[in-house]
Amino acid sequence: MTALGPAVYRELRFLVIDDQPVARDSLRICAQTMGAFAVEFSSGYQDAIVRIRRAMPDVILCDYLLGNDRSGQQLLEELRRFDMLADDCVFIMVTAEQSYEQVVAAVELAPDDYIIKPFSPDRLKLRLDRVLRRKRFFKPLFAAKRAQDYAGAARFIEQVRDTEEGQVQRFELMRQHAEVLLLKGDALAAQAAFETILETHPFPWARAGKARALVGQSRLQEARAIMDQVVVDAPTFFGGFDLKAQICLEMGDYEEGQRTVAAASSKTGRNYVRKRLLADAALLSGDTATACAAMGDVVRNDTAPGAVSVADCLMLARSHVEAGELMEAEQALGGISAARMETASLDDKASWHALRALMAPDAERRQVAALRAAWIATPLCAQTRVDIIRAAFALGDQALAVAITSALFVSDEIRRVFKVVRGLFEAHAMVPAFRELQRSAALQKIGSADAS
Amino acid sequence: MQRVLDILSSGVHDAKNQLFRAESLLVQAEAEHGITLGEARYAIELAALRLSGVLATYKLQRHVETLSIGMASAGELIEEVVLVNREHCDRLGLEIIGDSSADEPWPLDRDLVLDILSNALQNASRFARRQIRMSACHADGFLLLRIEDDGPGFEEPDIDRMAKLGVGLFVARELAALHRRHDRHGRVELRNGGELGGAIMEVWLP
Repeated sequence: MTALGPAVYRELRFLVIDDQPVARDSLRICAQTMGAFAVEFSSGYQDAIVRIRRAMPDVILCDYLLGNDRSGQQLLEELRRFDMLADDCVFIMVTAEQSYEQVVAAVELAPDDYIIKPFSPDRLKLRLDRVLRRKRFFKPLFAAKRAQDYAGAARFIEQVRDTEEGQVQRFELMRQHAEVLLLKGDALAAQAAFETILETHPFPWARAGKARALVGQSRLQEARAIMDQVVVDAPTFFGGFDLKAQICLEMGDYEEGQRTVAAASSKTGRNYVRKRLLADAALLSGDTATACAAMGDVVRNDTAPGAVSVADCLMLARSHVEAGELMEAEQALGGISAARMETASLDDKASWHALRALMAPDAERRQVAALRAAWIATPLCAQTRVDIIRAAFALGDQALAVAITSALFVSDEIRRVFKVVRGLFEAHAMVPAFRELQRSAALQKIGSADAS
Repeated sequence: MQRVLDILSSGVHDAKNQLFRAESLLVQAEAEHGITLGEARYAIELAALRLSGVLATYKLQRHVETLSIGMASAGELIEEVVLVNREHCDRLGLEIIGDSSADEPWPLDRDLVLDILSNALQNASRFARRQIRMSACHADGFLLLRIEDDGPGFEEPDIDRMAKLGVGLFVARELAALHRRHDRHGRVELRNGGELGGAIMEVWLP
């Protein structure tokens, strides 16, 4: 492979992230020896986010250990979560720990490459040359995926597969092909694509990919069996724990879902996406204390700008309402400004009113009466519909509870919340009504299957 | 045992950070004063390789070493090992030839295999007269990585006996064996002869 010349490196803007000044200086020397002219420094996690937001570097050299209980991996995940990294920005993890390869082999969001200290500038340059070439090669694919043009992405893969560079990138193309099929919603083809990859090696991510494809076909038992084994075989693949937890929740096994995500969350304390999933699982399984604690942590400590959404504040309020802690629930709702509520989604607005009705039924009765027709007619998410069903029962409006549950059955989103809704009907001595809704939904499905 | 492993890992980690610092300062001195300190930098790379070897040996002895399998091209591995060792070999008057007909990505633990190859090349550089060749090809469903030289050859080309004499070959044999695929596992073979007439070390990865 021909090395990229110094002129290429002179044009690149480097950002070196390390909490140790001496180590930063070592990485600066490396970057400058490769020909880099513009090298900026960052002393850690928060500072790096600010700098990257301000000016996107071309190359990020980030130490794995950033101090204050933060890691370079967390930073990378945060940057990707908020879409703060440009597609052609190179992120290289730098570490002295050989065991880092265990981490990188397992994570969902891997850096473009990693390098183990000590290394010479030549060696770093060799790795960077490869990543830069790979990024250039895949640029049209990233652009198509970003634009959700999955047909375009698939066309690119088809076109380059047999080129010289395509042969070198053959395996990455196979992985991208499987991912694109999943994104397109072609679960059956995605399953076949992941199975082809698995013939090479039982990579945990490929097994998880197959499980995702099975979920797409509603084959939850098979997906669950795969993920049960993946979390045993790859205990640092936390994305695998999340997927298993999601499958458990879809299957109504809320307790195992909570146990699974709690196990991963206890090892990734500052992963607030996972904390949100933990809160979801805990609330479904009726563990309101864990739900309150997890969402409280999210709302207080997920400090990235714009990270805490209206939905998060509603989730915290919901957790407190279910725990019977109305003062705390009131505080959580109070954390949402009127301006934010105005621009909130229909789901969030409906949940806000439903939660208020749960907290003070008499005060909200008229408001709910005014909104109920719209709620029945609007396609709302499952979580919001559960909020409304709860509120309806609290207000004694059983017709509303039935109408919303019927809509849930029709939307096919009942799976995850089925046991919760059934529990609510049981608590109000309305099991026959629930069974009737279930029966008519089943008949409707059979009817539409026959028609098609 | 985990505590001992943690202490060892943390010690190796700290030492490698310090070695990186030392290497960077040497690189800076080279740039500022127009001098070449390649042998000093090479000594640092070797020290790091030894540290990794000692840690790997401990983990292998305690049966806690695990692989991280990813896809890597043999051509890229050879390119990297040659890059790290070229300056040193030039100084010894040795030519390194890197040659791969196996560019297709293969499932292996990249960093551990890089260490195995670096160690093998460094050993070969001690005995070779003029040439070392590092090559890769596919054979019998395996990826075959071969390091050969034109030196006097192994006194006893038997991996099981030789692995008792040094950390490098012990680690290479054990790490190769940890590579498993479709009920087959990796191995290291030693021979004498070949095109260059000296020692040949072969790493077979399924």
